[in-house]
Amino acid sequence: MRNFLTVEGLNRESLREVIETAQDFASGRFGNDVLSGRTVCLAFFESSTRTAVSFELAARRNGAFVISLSEKGSSISKGESLVDTVVTLDALGADAMVLRHPAAGAARLAAQHTAAAVINAGDGCGQHPTQALLDLYALAEARGGFDELEGEKIAVVGDVLHSRVARSIIPAFQAAGAEVAVCAPATLLPAEAGAWGIPVLDSIDEALAWGAEALYMLRLQNERMTGALVPSVAEYSRFYGVQRHHLSADPELLVMHPGPVNRGVEIAGDVVMDERSLIKSQVAAGVHVRSAVLALATGAVERIAV
Amino acid sequence: MTEGRNHIPTTRSGTDVELVIKNAHVLDPSGNLDGVMDVRVAGGRIAEVGENLAGGREIAADGLHLFPGFVDVHAHWRSPGQEHRESIESGSGAAAAGGFTGVVMMPNTDPVVDRPVVVSGLVRRAGRESRVRAYVSAALHVGLAGERLTEMKLLKEAGALCVSDDGLGTQRASVLRSGMLYARSAGLPVILHCEDHTLATGVVHEGRHSALTGLPGTPASAEDVATAAGLILAAETGAKVHITHVSTGLSAALVGFFKKLGIADVTSDTTPHHLTLTDELVATLEGLYRVNPPLRPKKDLNAVREALSDGTFDFVATDHAPHASHEKDLPLEEANPGFLGHETAFAAIYTELVLSGRLSLRRLVEAMSCAPGRWVGEGGGLAVGGPADIALVDLTEEWTVERRTLLSKSENSPYRGRRLTGRVAGTIVGGEFVYNARDIAGVGFGVRA
Repeated sequence: MRNFLTVEGLNRESLREVIETAQDFASGRFGNDVLSGRTVCLAFFESSTRTAVSFELAARRNGAFVISLSEKGSSISKGESLVDTVVTLDALGADAMVLRHPAAGAARLAAQHTAAAVINAGDGCGQHPTQALLDLYALAEARGGFDELEGEKIAVVGDVLHSRVARSIIPAFQAAGAEVAVCAPATLLPAEAGAWGIPVLDSIDEALAWGAEALYMLRLQNERMTGALVPSVAEYSRFYGVQRHHLSADPELLVMHPGPVNRGVEIAGDVVMDERSLIKSQVAAGVHVRSAVLALATGAVERIAV
Repeated sequence: MTEGRNHIPTTRSGTDVELVIKNAHVLDPSGNLDGVMDVRVAGGRIAEVGENLAGGREIAADGLHLFPGFVDVHAHWRSPGQEHRESIESGSGAAAAGGFTGVVMMPNTDPVVDRPVVVSGLVRRAGRESRVRAYVSAALHVGLAGERLTEMKLLKEAGALCVSDDGLGTQRASVLRSGMLYARSAGLPVILHCEDHTLATGVVHEGRHSALTGLPGTPASAEDVATAAGLILAAETGAKVHITHVSTGLSAALVGFFKKLGIADVTSDTTPHHLTLTDELVATLEGLYRVNPPLRPKKDLNAVREALSDGTFDFVATDHAPHASHEKDLPLEEANPGFLGHETAFAAIYTELVLSGRLSLRRLVEAMSCAPGRWVGEGGGLAVGGPADIALVDLTEEWTVERRTLLSKSENSPYRGRRLTGRVAGTIVGGEFVYNARDIAGVGFGVRA
């Protein structure tokens, strides 16, 4: 059993093999009972829609027993600590725990208290590794294969400061051989954005001038749109939103977003459904990738060390 | 400060016994003592320091260093109300094991130490339960809320040594200003916890490691802005101000600047952990490494070391902050901030700074004993007639910090698992052994587990 806590430290070959395993799931190669006899616990200490549904679908489609805990209607809402919940699930015989938690490092802490494989489904502003894998999958499919990611120039745009998605996709895309830059106003960047050693750009136009071939748009959280971080939605959208004319400028440009999209803010309404938007592919990729991660982490498919 | 009111009684059972500590390497910067000699203790006080002394019970201290007992102006013994973390008994035991003979207890307890009756109760309890001299810091504002002044003159009558809104800091400059003015008229020093809460929204230092981990960062300016405000108000009000746990290079420079100007009655300290550890540790994401102010990057560590070395900082204080394991074994964002400090303070600094040649042993003893002793008004030297408060230290002993070796009720030491050099062998308060790891001369507790 192997934990899946972070993207950091994974090399190109590891990523490729997870993606290829996910492709095998997509093609139906494994049938529908790969996880038969395995117990998968979904422990969501923080609300989630697409990630929770995607993991549940992945587990059930492959024949696992599924236990779902959410912040409502469980001991979590009674104030039970993360460690106590994990120990309980461990005692109940979980083979894998899919954990979402509002604090960075929660999955790593959980892994210290259980023999089950712990899969990080998002921890605070820390990591969201399966999101990064499904993004790799979706972009690789769009470009014609994993190897095509080599040299791809990707600008990660928006609220990098608060984004666990950014902290996962930046190292993931880099490990896959892509060139990555971040693009955001200074208020939405970490104080030392240079920690990643990548370019810091100040508008979509700058990102395109840099040569971005894919724009990875991060969600601007409503609660952060006004006040001290961003002066207005209108200004943000003007400088950090993707408009139709950006697509016109480069026929190869692709747009990605982890969802849910604020239409007209990060991405103009008519661009969201454009064929060069990978948003739907990203969501679809989620089930295949999470099937692969569950199967690899529980040892149901022995292919690589994740 | 008036001896005998703010702390446990100096006279304890056994102090009538005359001791002669033989052949220790005595180092007392305040008395300019540095060499192998004997110390004679009588009636709980230093009777004589010299060679070939005799009389009373002789204690062989060959190979040990003898310093004035360490004094810690910043500790959390969690009484009243949070004794699951620490108590006066366990906290003072930990202090004694670290060579401390005097400790100031901070007021952010439950209830807060903001009323005379709480102060007098603590003084009484400390008299019964503390192994070392225990001093009470009362709150500057009721409930540490930064609104209503505490009854500082009554608090002083009840035995408070100083006032502080430690743990939170006073957030409004106008309120802090009036607090300082009143404290000055009450004759109480103010210990300042400098932190601007409008900036301090994170849980670790905002920098490279917060960027990479996603842990919410607090910029260094959260401390620097408050330090600047505190210094400016100290200059204006004339209050006696002590700025505690300084952790940034800019705050150190600000303290140095105001000291050079000479317009504020200001002293300052930094902690063992800000002198020896950096924010790289938060990359582990472990709750153990959450502390306030947060661990800083190397450039701040170096600046803080320099400020201690050149005397910008007057002394070291531990900010000993015990937490129960279930309050630390959490994701870092949810863990309580704070480290244990008493038992590792000397060894951590000795190992990291003195052995590497960055700090002289003399300066370290000045910073852990003499200067804070002067600040509390007691101890801090081996002057004849002064209290016999002594730390006996083996500078050659190597030891690993482990749970089973700690006397605190808690185990949240950031040095757990680390190998340190230099260990306290015995601690004497008022002529009486309160810690005696080796059962030196068969007189003591042998309290080390």
